[in-house]
Amino acid sequence: MTATTTRLRRGRSERRSVALTILAVLVAAVFALPALWLLLGSVRPSSEIFGSLSPLSWRILVPSSVSLDNYVTLLTGSFGRALGVSFLVCALTVAVGVIVCALAAYALAVLQFRGRGAVFAFVVISFMVPFEAIAIPLSQLFTSWGLTNTIMGLVLPGIGNGLAIFNLRQHFLAVPTSYREAATIDGASEPRVLWSVYWPLGGSALANSALLIFLGQWTAYLWPLLVVSESRLQVAPVALSRTFGEHTFDYGQNFAGAVVLSVVPAVMMFILQRSFGGLSLATGEK
Amino acid sequence: MSVQHEAPRTGVRTSPGVGSPPPRRLSRRHKELAWAVIFLAPAIIAILTLRIAPSIGAVISSLHRGFPGGVLEPVFSGFRNYADLLANEAFRDTVVRTVVFNVIINPLQVAIALMVAVLVTRKIGAPGLWRTLIFIPATVPIVGSSIVWGVALRPEGPINAIIEALGGTPQPFFTSGDQALASIMLVLSWIGIGYWMLFLISGIQSIPEEYYEAARLDRAGPIRTFFSITIPLLKRPLLFVLVADTVANFVVFVPIQMLTNGGPQNSTTMQMFNAYRTTYTYGSKNLGAAEVVILTLIMLVFVAIQFRMLREDRPTRSRR
Repeated sequence: MTATTTRLRRGRSERRSVALTILAVLVAAVFALPALWLLLGSVRPSSEIFGSLSPLSWRILVPSSVSLDNYVTLLTGSFGRALGVSFLVCALTVAVGVIVCALAAYALAVLQFRGRGAVFAFVVISFMVPFEAIAIPLSQLFTSWGLTNTIMGLVLPGIGNGLAIFNLRQHFLAVPTSYREAATIDGASEPRVLWSVYWPLGGSALANSALLIFLGQWTAYLWPLLVVSESRLQVAPVALSRTFGEHTFDYGQNFAGAVVLSVVPAVMMFILQRSFGGLSLATGEK
Repeated sequence: MSVQHEAPRTGVRTSPGVGSPPPRRLSRRHKELAWAVIFLAPAIIAILTLRIAPSIGAVISSLHRGFPGGVLEPVFSGFRNYADLLANEAFRDTVVRTVVFNVIINPLQVAIALMVAVLVTRKIGAPGLWRTLIFIPATVPIVGSSIVWGVALRPEGPINAIIEALGGTPQPFFTSGDQALASIMLVLSWIGIGYWMLFLISGIQSIPEEYYEAARLDRAGPIRTFFSITIPLLKRPLLFVLVADTVANFVVFVPIQMLTNGGPQNSTTMQMFNAYRTTYTYGSKNLGAAEVVILTLIMLVFVAIQFRMLREDRPTRSRR
């Protein structure tokens, strides 16, 4: 091996890396440009969304004027109210859901009892069947239970989440058993151990579970469609879909609605990561 | 942590003391069982009322036959609903369409997600930026992506404008029986590929670097390396993603309801939308229930596979 061959090889690998970077840029553009077009369409007049198309010009990605009019009209209309309903439903579901999932995960990870594996399989599999599959028969049950057109009716199906239970259980399994033994010897009951040992150590896993539960409700569409008929309890995705396609000149507002629906989970993810991301178990055990 | 500094006392207290050990042990086990029952109760009740009850309800309802208008009580009719469905050509077409749709879209999405994941884990400039950009569509809820593509694929929309600028003829997309289903696949893939890419990236990153070094020493080219190292070592994440994708795409509903309403000529009617339409638009609850049961049975097979794969993951994950 001489210095020249190494240099040649390095040159070739550098060229390859440049080519791959260009390819990555193109792929990223294919995915990101429709999103950019959506974002731009939400801040320009609806008439302009199609105005720049024939002949195709760079104006398609350069609005002549930028305004938040679409957002203002959208948020002061029925969509604003629907957003409020969505937030309320999500908050209630996350609050109840995280507790339900943490309790189940604690029992399945920490407590010893016969048939634990079977119960675990039963719980996770039951929640893994996509909710959509049983939404139609469940909505008929909810009608007979008087839960249609109620906040409860919207919240209840979201409280159990198989993946959240699964993740929390994995996380709890990794907590050293000596912590619980020590707490039990000090006379702590099981709820106390869960609350003051496992819950504070739950950090990122709890945040993940909250996020899973939140996302499930935030993007729910079929269920709210089935269980709510009154417009006062309409959730945001359904409200947005209702206005879509009614009038061509509302595209700007439709786009703004889609942006709002996308940004909220991103912000939520950011907040949760900020406040829970740093916790670690590695330093706990002596 | 208040518990931590008290750990050393463990040894003192657990040594045989006043009470005799065996009964104490027994009562402790009973206590744990009691707590387990209490802790699991909310989740189990949720499963029973929100999952099992409607499933049983659907099975019972599917074995009855209702009358239009719903004035008379439905009567027991055995498997007649199922027999009718299987004899119905439109329903058989719907099942076949759902299966074909899944056989195409899931391997396709996973294959593209894999290629993209491999690309952004190679030595390239600013890999994090491209990953983020590719993932962005996955953050758009499906209602939003249906709107974007519903507008973008309109006859006078930007995609046709681009096709025309490149010298092609404008396409009908959602308004044509031949292209509508493919257009739905496009909407789903735009959000799906970036999402599944994330799982595959973490899979690729957990492949030890030594394997690639060994391949380099053996002078294996990039394609050979991909098929002999990346794919075999990525088998589990790939299978998991494939099954999870299938589970999600089997119940696809939103873009169909928003963009095509099952048309044109039923070309985008799939099982989930069909069950919804039978139950609510046509008002045949019992027939709709039979359709739900068939859909759920197919789903259960995929879910069982998915669960098996999550389970086998356990030993590696629980060990720190």
